[in-house]
Order: sequence, then structure tokens, then C-alpha cells
Amino acid sequence: MEKRYDIAIIGSGPAGLSTAINAKVRKKEIILFGSEDISSKIAKAHGINNYLGMYGKSGEEMASAFRHHIDEMEIRITPEKVTNIMPVDDYYAILTKNGMYYEAASVILASGISFGKAIPGEKEFLGKGVSYCATCDAMFYRGKVATVIGYNKSEEEEADFLTQVAEKVYYIPMYTDEVNVNEKVEVIQDKVLEIRGDQKVTELVLRNHVLTTDGVFILRESVAADSLIPGLEIEDNHVKVDRLMKTNLNGCFAAGDIVGKPYQYSKAAGEGNIAALSAVSYLDARRRAVV
Amino acid sequence: MKIVNVDNKNFEQEVLQSTVPVLMDVWAPWCGPCRMLGPLVDQVAEENDNFKVVKVNADEAGDLAQKLNVVSIPALICFKSGAETKRSIGLISKAEILKLVEA
Repeated sequence: MEKRYDIAIIGSGPAGLSTAINAKVRKKEIILFGSEDISSKIAKAHGINNYLGMYGKSGEEMASAFRHHIDEMEIRITPEKVTNIMPVDDYYAILTKNGMYYEAASVILASGISFGKAIPGEKEFLGKGVSYCATCDAMFYRGKVATVIGYNKSEEEEADFLTQVAEKVYYIPMYTDEVNVNEKVEVIQDKVLEIRGDQKVTELVLRNHVLTTDGVFILRESVAADSLIPGLEIEDNHVKVDRLMKTNLNGCFAAGDIVGKPYQYSKAAGEGNIAALSAVSYLDARRRAVV
Repeated sequence: MKIVNVDNKNFEQEVLQSTVPVLMDVWAPWCGPCRMLGPLVDQVAEENDNFKVVKVNADEAGDLAQKLNVVSIPALICFKSGAETKRSIGLISKAEILKLVEA
């Protein structure tokens, strides 16, 4: 049987880290998913002057203060991207991009807000040529043309992978780093405007090109919350929670930017604190019910 | 109800000619979300008798997947009286699976 964690925390920004330290204080078995370098957004922030006790700190100093805090408390980050979370009976099944599978009795969503807006045509052609998973769907592009829109350098390997089956692979980087893909991939630097087709995708319209393509793989850094967990209630583009940071799903909580404005570190950390305590009461109540 | 594996050979008989509604799960072994959805579909099959559940392994029955215009998995497709009535792409909850097949 898989190891069953008490709490799985998705996200390593202020909300996720605050959740982690509070859950750890309450002696819960946690798994924290995020990036090794804490949150890339924190490190990029300029001066932060409205976080108590951190006057005049730069984003980088703040990130290293956070890092020091979790290191001292022996909290480790599992550097995997969570792609799916599934409520199963009395626990949550968690799947990551590289195919790893985890189980936790409760989940706290703290993955921030995804600033990537849907591409025109994206929703309409989902399952008709638009895909979010190259591993799953590459086989359907044998001998066909596939286009990858990559929001992160790590998606380059998905484009390489597609060249094993597809006749032609285009890669459109949505970032400024240098692109390193194999010679079979054609890299196009352009702005994505629209996905078009009739029954199925036929073309991708860019500002300076129109690509004839059978499929468009849209690979974003973070998955939209409602496609992360089926059945999760969303309101105004944010996860709907109550004052105790409870979502509509039993045992699932959320904190930080993902639940709404203001997008501030203090608010995120505070909500992480509440979410952790709510998860702890949920777990304790459940344990009492079983005994 | 017992789950039937379907490919191009028995598709007509098991799906199109079925006298009860059919819920089809198109999956593949390397697809992570499919492996999460599979057990839920199994549960739904076990707990319901008013429709039939069939599985299509897109790896082995690629021709059938192509015929059905499936280009993303996991895909759940409902059939009634020999015609497709609904289709859902990606991982969904058990309640949503039931809603799909009962609609």
C-alpha cells in the first residue's frame, strides 16, 4: 500500500510554506510539492515593506529567510509538478507530471494564481486537437503535425518526445530563455493568437504565421485549479473557500492567491496558517470518529 | 455489471447494437490520468446495472480510437441506441461520471 500522508500541500509560496510549518508544529505527516527555489515569483519581487518583521528586504532575501525557516524545521520540498488530484473515498490520490503517485488524507491548495489566460479556441477544441498531456496523447499524432506551446523551459523535452511519433513538431516558447530542442523540432518565436478548426483543430494562428497543425499541446506551469481536482467549486476565477479556508470538497482546503485578492504575502501566510489548523481539526475529528 | 474490453472487432456488437446505454472508457497504460480514472469507472460499473461499461485500450485498439476521433485520453464516451450522446475529456469525479451517463 502507498504511504498515506496526513496533509499534501500544493505550492511553495508564502501560503504553502506557512501551511507546512503550522502542520509540522501540529506533528502532522506532510508532503510539500513545489519548486526547490521556493517560489520564483518571490525571488523576482523587488522590495517588500509590508511583511511584519521583514522591513527593507528584497525578494531574494525574503526567499532565503523562508528557506532558512523551513530548513530549520526539517521541512523538505518535493520538487514535482502536481497534475491531477482525485478525491477517492476517504483520501486524495495525487499524480505528478513524471507519473509519481501519492496519497494523502487531506489536501491544501496553495499553488497561487495562474496568470496564463485561456487561448481563444482552447476550450472549444479540448479533446479535438487541444491537449494538456503530451505523454497521454502523443500516440494520436503518429504521422501528423503537432505544435507545442511551452510556458516553461522544462516543456522542451515534451517537444523532443513528440518527434518520436509525429511527422512534424513545432515548438512555441512562451518564455525568453534559450531553447534547446532536438533538430527535428522547428522553433517558432511568435505570439499565439488563436486556435482554429472545424470538427478538429486545423491551424494555429500566430501574429506572423499561420501553422497548419493537427494538434496543439498547451503546457503551462500551473494547472487551473478546477482541472486539477474534479468537482472543485470556483468563483470568479478563484477557489471558493469559507473563513476556515474549506473548499466544497471534504478534506480539501485552499490558501493564498488561489482563493482571491489581495495578492499579498501577509494574507497568504495568514491563510496558510488557518488552512493548516483547519486540516488538523479535520484529521483529528475523523480520527475520533473512527476510534 | 461486467466490464467488456472492446476493439474494432466487437465494437459493433458490444456498443452499437447494445440494448442498454453504454459508457466507454478510452485509456492507455502510459497515461497517468487514465490510471486514476480507471478504478472509478470500475466502481461505477460494479455499482450500476442499468448501463454497460466498456473499455478501449488505445494502445491495442488504435484503429478504433481513430474511428471514434479520440485524440485525447482519458476519454469517456456515452452511447445510446447505437449513437454517441456525450463525451468527456480528462479526469472527472465519480459523481461526474454518473451524471454523464445518466444525462
